[in-house]
Amino acid sequence: MSKRLKASERKATILAVAKVLFSDKGYHGVSVDEIARRLGVSPAILYRHFPSKEALYEEVLNSIACKRESYVEAVVNSDDSFSDVLRRITRIYIESVSKDPDYLRMELQSALEGSDATRQFFENRWRPFSDFIEFSLKELAAQKSLAPVNGRVAAMAFQGMIREALYAKCIYRSPRYRELDLYELSEHLITLFLNAVGYVEPEK
Amino acid sequence: MSDFDLELDARGLNCPLPILRARQGIQKLNPGQVLHVIATDPGSVKDFEAFCKQTGNELLAATQESGEYKFDIRKGQ
Repeated sequence: MSKRLKASERKATILAVAKVLFSDKGYHGVSVDEIARRLGVSPAILYRHFPSKEALYEEVLNSIACKRESYVEAVVNSDDSFSDVLRRITRIYIESVSKDPDYLRMELQSALEGSDATRQFFENRWRPFSDFIEFSLKELAAQKSLAPVNGRVAAMAFQGMIREALYAKCIYRSPRYRELDLYELSEHLITLFLNAVGYVEPEK
Repeated sequence: MSDFDLELDARGLNCPLPILRARQGIQKLNPGQVLHVIATDPGSVKDFEAFCKQTGNELLAATQESGEYKFDIRKGQ
C-alpha cells in the first residue's frame, strides 16, 4: 500500500511520473490507468488532482516551461528595443527548456502523433516569439526603420533555428557544435537572424 | 472626463507585447497618473499583476467584460 502523502507531494509525484511517461510514449501512448498503476494508486486519486489527462498534460508542460512572469521580468529589464527583448525572452525560454529536455521529447512526440490538441499546447509556447517577431517587424517597417519583410515567415525561421539549437545541444548532443554552449549558439543565431531581417541593433 | 491620463489599446496582442507597450506608455506619464489598458489576451491578467509587482506601479483595477480585459495602472514614484 502506498504511503499517505500530502496533497502537494502527491501532485508533484504524479507530475514527475506523468512527465517521464509522456516524454517516452507521447500523449496518446499513455493512459491515466498506466500513470496510476506506475504510481501504485487508483485512477480516482489522479482525477482528484487533475480533472482530465489533458489537464495533467498541460500541467506537466507548465511545470517545465518558463512562467509568464519571467517574460514580464525580461521586458521590464530590457532597453525596450526589439533585439534586447528578443534576446532576453529567448534566453529565458532556452534556460527553462534545457534544464529539462523531457519537454523537448514531449514536443517531438507531439509532432509525431499529429494530434491537434498537443500541437496547440506547443504552438502556444512559441506564441510569445512568433507574435512578437511578426508584430515588431511590421511596426519597424511602418516606421521605416526596416525594409518590409514577411514577419510570419521570419518568425518561422526564428522558431526553427532556436528549436534546432535546443535539439542539437539537449537531445542529440551533437559533437559538431561541441565548441559552443547553448547560450553562445543561441546568441550567434539571434545575431544571424537580426542581420537577415536587416535590423541594426542599438548601440549599448 | 475620463479617470485615466493615457489609454493603450493592446487588443489582439499577446505576451510580451502588451507589457512592452504598457511600459512605454507608463514612461510618458508623471508619477500618480493613470494608464488605462485594454487587452484581449487572457494571460494579461497575470502579466499585469506581475508587471506592477516588479515595477512599483499600482494596479488600481483589473476587470473583464465580454472577452476584454481592462487595467488601470497608476504610475509609482
